[in-house]
Amino acid sequence: MIVIIDALNKHEHPDLVRGMHRLRARVFRDRLGWDVTVTDGEEHDLFDNLDPAYLVSVTPDGDVVGCMRILQTTGPHMMADVFAPLLDGEPPLRSARLWEATRFCVDTAELTDRRGPRSISQVTGELMIGACEYAMESGITDAVAVIDPLMHRILKRSGNGPSGYLGSPRQMGKVVAMAVLLDCTEERVRNIRQCTGITGDVFRPEPVAIAQVAGRAGAPRPALTIADAGLPASHAA
Amino acid sequence: MRLIDLSLSASDEDRGAFLSELCESLEIDHACYALQDPFSGNVHGYATYPEEWKQLYGQRAYQHVDPTFTKAVRSVAPVDWSRFTSDSGFDTVFSAARDFGISSQGLSVPVRGPFGDIGLLTVTRDCGEREWQGLRRKIIGGLQSAAVNFHDSVMRSNTIAGLMRVPPLSSRECEILQWIAAGKSQQDVGDILSISPRTVEVHLRSAREKLGALTTPQAVGRAVRLALISPG
Repeated sequence: MIVIIDALNKHEHPDLVRGMHRLRARVFRDRLGWDVTVTDGEEHDLFDNLDPAYLVSVTPDGDVVGCMRILQTTGPHMMADVFAPLLDGEPPLRSARLWEATRFCVDTAELTDRRGPRSISQVTGELMIGACEYAMESGITDAVAVIDPLMHRILKRSGNGPSGYLGSPRQMGKVVAMAVLLDCTEERVRNIRQCTGITGDVFRPEPVAIAQVAGRAGAPRPALTIADAGLPASHAA
Repeated sequence: MRLIDLSLSASDEDRGAFLSELCESLEIDHACYALQDPFSGNVHGYATYPEEWKQLYGQRAYQHVDPTFTKAVRSVAPVDWSRFTSDSGFDTVFSAARDFGISSQGLSVPVRGPFGDIGLLTVTRDCGEREWQGLRRKIIGGLQSAAVNFHDSVMRSNTIAGLMRVPPLSSRECEILQWIAAGKSQQDVGDILSISPRTVEVHLRSAREKLGALTTPQAVGRAVRLALISPG
């Protein structure tokens, strides 16, 4: 399930906010080796102080397994600042209808361990559906996102590849980072749903689906992942 | 959407007319824009509300309790006022607003500028819930663009930096404008540069907005005048 957290409701979700910052520490410092600041196991940066919006992917147990941070490109955002090298020194795009998505990550270790690698594309798909729908609802047509090659592969394999590329990929920590454009359209949402088999409302999953996922230990795989079959078997991350 | 051009030294009358026209073209009852200038600390406001309501709002200092302003400025996405139904400040302000025929059904569109400046465009419309949902979906994109356009206009007139500023267009944005000036379509430009027409549109939209232009031809004209590109 996707929960949108912003300055207006942040106080209602302290556990999810903490879980998200911990996930970011695991992914961006431990796995990707980025030069980020981690305090008490949580990764925070200056942009977290600017009232961004977060999309958080939460399991029925309340674990945070994916997240994304949204800022407007009209104001201070990462492409205009810390990610400027990705644009080869060029000024960033700025538009009322373009959002920036950063700190986009999925808990690959946890998901591979517990539910098989295919869940990674499920969580990624759910996050992307949520982000697209949130953007469209807000009058946004496209987003610029900073991703790593693994995320790039996951996106492409789930019918969800970038609609464009900006600047040049650069080494950041252990891996390369790249700036991509993603259109926020019904067509993209349809493609992701088709590839991942996610059918319901990602913000308000049906109680039945939750019960099925909750009973996952030793139980048959929940119905909502049936269309996983459409994905290549080699989808290990 | 036909809008008054605010990009060149707009007067307060121009801005008032812009809001009236916005109401007209987007089928809304009232529009209001407020900006807290990060340099002077002054609040600039423009609204189509009746004078009596503006006065009462100021007298009672509602701007300190009205969540459509105080809370919505901290959002990234536009905020539907249905999110404030259990907010006591909202009740206070909008039960008073009702006496002036102002609906409590509305939307706040926050704008963030590059200097930490934050503006807010709010609109109201008195109609059924369903009609409102449909209308909101239809006009949200236009509202986003109008909000930033308005905000940039106010910021430009309030800061020396704004007046002196040449819009920082990227080489890609200039390149695309140059091809458009040469008479190429977006599809052509995409083919020439080996990028998708969608990506061309994203760059063009950004270039238009940076130049304060409402249309692509206007953006080309301005880019030529600023010597960012050469005449086609």
